[in-house]
Amino acid sequence: MFSTRILRHVLFLLMFTALGIARAQAPEELKIGVIAPLSGGGTAWGLALQRGAQLAVDEVMAKGGLKIGDKVYAPKLVVFDSQYTAAGGRVAAERLISVEKVKFIIGPIGSPEVLGALPVTMKSETLMLSNGFAVPILKNPENSPYNFRVLNTSVEFGPAMVKWYRENYPKSKKVAMIGPNDSVGQMVVPQMAEVYKSQGFEVWSELYERGSKEFTPILLRMIAQKVDLFDLAGNAPSEVGLMIRQARQSGFKGHIWQAGGPAVDEAIAIAGKLSEGYMSFNVFDFDNPKAANFVKAYRAKYGTGIINAQTPIWHNATHMLFESMRRSGGTDVKAVRNSLEKLDGYEGGLVGPVSWGGLAEYGVNHQLLHEFLIVEVRDGKIMTRATITPVKR
Amino acid sequence: MLAIWPIFTSNQFLLTMASMVLLSAIGAASLNLIIRTGHVSLAHAGFMGIGAYGCVLAQLYLEWSFPIALIFGCLLSGLVALAVGPIILRLTGKYFVLVTFMLGEIIRMIFIEWKSLTGGSNGLSNFPPIHPIFESSINFYYLALIVSVLCVALCWRILTSELGRAIDSMREAEKVALCSGVPVIKIKILIFVIGCVLVAIQGAFQAHLIKFVDPTSFNDLASLNFVVMNVIGGMFHVAGPLIGTIFISLFPELLRDYVDYQRVIFGVVLIIVMAALPGGIVGTFARLRGKK
Amino acid sequence: MFSMAMFGQALVNGVSLSAIYVLIALGFTLLFGIMRVVNFAHGAFAMLGGYALFFAYGQYQLPYAVAIIGSALLVASAGLIFEYFVVRWFYHKMFQSMIGLMGLNMAMVFTGVIVWDAHERSIPAAASEVLFVGDLVIPADRVVVLAVAIVVLFLFWMFISKTKYGLAMRAASQDVEIAGTQGINARRIYQVAFFIAIFMTALAGSLYTQVYALSPFVGERILMVAFVVVILGGMGSIPGAALGGILLGLSESFLSTFFGAAVSTFVTFGAVILLLVVRPWGILGEPE
Repeated sequence: MFSTRILRHVLFLLMFTALGIARAQAPEELKIGVIAPLSGGGTAWGLALQRGAQLAVDEVMAKGGLKIGDKVYAPKLVVFDSQYTAAGGRVAAERLISVEKVKFIIGPIGSPEVLGALPVTMKSETLMLSNGFAVPILKNPENSPYNFRVLNTSVEFGPAMVKWYRENYPKSKKVAMIGPNDSVGQMVVPQMAEVYKSQGFEVWSELYERGSKEFTPILLRMIAQKVDLFDLAGNAPSEVGLMIRQARQSGFKGHIWQAGGPAVDEAIAIAGKLSEGYMSFNVFDFDNPKAANFVKAYRAKYGTGIINAQTPIWHNATHMLFESMRRSGGTDVKAVRNSLEKLDGYEGGLVGPVSWGGLAEYGVNHQLLHEFLIVEVRDGKIMTRATITPVKR
Repeated sequence: MLAIWPIFTSNQFLLTMASMVLLSAIGAASLNLIIRTGHVSLAHAGFMGIGAYGCVLAQLYLEWSFPIALIFGCLLSGLVALAVGPIILRLTGKYFVLVTFMLGEIIRMIFIEWKSLTGGSNGLSNFPPIHPIFESSINFYYLALIVSVLCVALCWRILTSELGRAIDSMREAEKVALCSGVPVIKIKILIFVIGCVLVAIQGAFQAHLIKFVDPTSFNDLASLNFVVMNVIGGMFHVAGPLIGTIFISLFPELLRDYVDYQRVIFGVVLIIVMAALPGGIVGTFARLRGKK
Repeated sequence: MFSMAMFGQALVNGVSLSAIYVLIALGFTLLFGIMRVVNFAHGAFAMLGGYALFFAYGQYQLPYAVAIIGSALLVASAGLIFEYFVVRWFYHKMFQSMIGLMGLNMAMVFTGVIVWDAHERSIPAAASEVLFVGDLVIPADRVVVLAVAIVVLFLFWMFISKTKYGLAMRAASQDVEIAGTQGINARRIYQVAFFIAIFMTALAGSLYTQVYALSPFVGERILMVAFVVVILGGMGSIPGAALGGILLGLSESFLSTFFGAAVSTFVTFGAVILLLVVRPWGILGEPE
């Protein structure tokens, strides 16, 4: 009897030890929230978010999981559709925080959905890596403690691009911008107009109802203005290709470029030969050998369609989040946030080293300043003409 | 019962969802009033927007307190309804639907184009709250509950009163009602104005729930949502729009796990419900009960 | 700005817009005229027409005439399946049809997103030349659209007024019960009407997506255009669709060119509201 009791104790001990080892090796699930517009006007970007983040998760899982301190986590994305509206962003955020109990959110993308989600994420101290061009997203009385913007806005890349254009094409004097009257167009077009004017250009601009596909009447109006440069800033990829094609078909002979987007692949797909000479802001070169694995993984999982240019941005953001967790040694939001703020120099994605800026503009250094390219379409291929790093301000 | 359950949970999501459902019920019920007169309005979300913008702008620029700003928003909505009502309410059936669709679009375009006033597509944020007490989800919920119950009760009272009987008679046989001395067009205008004022209330409160006002919340899809709530729930019963609101607001939440398929599933469900239950959910129950 | 050359070009642009708008509106107004159904899935069927042409002409590279007619026939045949399972429950039921078809539209569009992904694609142009007539610029693909619009309108008018089926359809649209007493099989007529309507819609969709671009969401704008054109011209009236399309196309072109996009939209919407208030059955419609 004595020995059976000891045997039982020993067995229990062995069992617990075995379980303990097993548990230490079985990764603990770590839920990461994703709010993406998967219906409504922003679906292409929403899918880019979902896919970019998922590819980053896949990469980490392929290496055995996310190792933070001495624990191993299996990150799992919980993806909610925001429908590209403020209410949608709010409800998605609430559900992620209160029901799914996530502490980290990637997305949303459009200003209305970010502004809808912010009150909730700020109050509950949930870390958000998002986008949205509206200034109040970063510049607010609370100093945006838990929100970081992971994509350059026209405030960051606009001045450098215009300066480059000025230097390369000194004869151009007048620029036209035609953009949609949605939250992006109404923010970006005036912003870029200021940038152009401050560099000595004359600016003409016009906004159209989002959803239109026929631009020849407005383009005709633009051609009558005798402009040298046509900037597609603020246009969604679906409209960029059409504008280029219709502008060239209408006889516009000046430069066409986009200080925004990017939508270069879409431009080539829709405008074909007429996209020759088209220039644009670009975040990433999919033909770069560094990108080969990324592209291969994307194709294997999501097919052969065009890869939306925001995909590597969100892939990068997800890796940034993971690295911040690693450096902070845990999943405490404040600690991770502090690590994220100090992540300068880290290169986990495909868009260059992390650099935080924006203090002068927004009062807080939560704007990611990633490298970007100025590219031109030549013979149906995308050639890089300049690589630019935004200035920390 | 509605008043008690929040004590047992502090789940913010449930509280926010519940508040949204309560506020949407105001819009659905107020639209039901208008539908009962035989007119389906696709401009309802536009009037909701007038209430929202009116209230928020008054708070921001005229620095009025919320109650006054709320009244202002409602008055604005009511005045617009009063201005267009006499003209468009003379139209019947599908023509009224079409003209209100266009009206809704014009209102939305004004919100977008009048950037200097409304902030355009980027909307208005950082406006003064109703009162610091209501920053907490539970308190806001109770506020929404009270407001919603009052508004829906008003609709119910109207529909079950003498006026309600006049409305039903107007809808079923307009010429007969006219001959019996029912002032048809006056009643239609009155109900239209009341309906638009009520949905303006929803607009103002919802703006404070989301803390953001932008034109995309007041587009044709939003108006259609109110109509769908009524048709799915049942247009000719008082509980109809309420059931419809719950269905339309909560069903997408059930589909969250099927993020890629959720809209496909929702579309199919709409088809099936409409094909199988032409009287709406409540209408079907009534029929079944009647048959017994 | 207000020069002869601008005027001329605005006219050319307007005519090409009109052709597209007329085609879009035809199928829509036919369904309303005969079955009193407001086809909220109109855009989705047009989208299917676009994808059908994309595969027929873009991928399999069938000759253009074969591709465009074949793809429209294919979609129209598929349409009959939707008609059997979904649409026929909603004939003559205004509100139920509205919402049921909205549901169908949602299901079709987002299935499209799942199957074909959300990004935009391009269908190679039937003719990519640009013709220069004096100061005027006329892209050849727009001329193709204009030609197709005229041919389709003409053929459809012939069908409606000269053939037995066309006559039966007209009778059914006026009074389906009495038509039944004359030996007209309402069910068969509805199927024929539906087939033709979807054929025209798919054709319009394939041309639209060829001129512009293809994605699962093209239907949204197409539906809006159909609505406005048909309100202008009269719901259920084929000549009305033609007139409405021409009016909308020309006014949009001239107003946008000379006064900008916002003015064009406000004036168009304002005019439509005015028309609805004063003459709701449209310019060529008939009061009920």
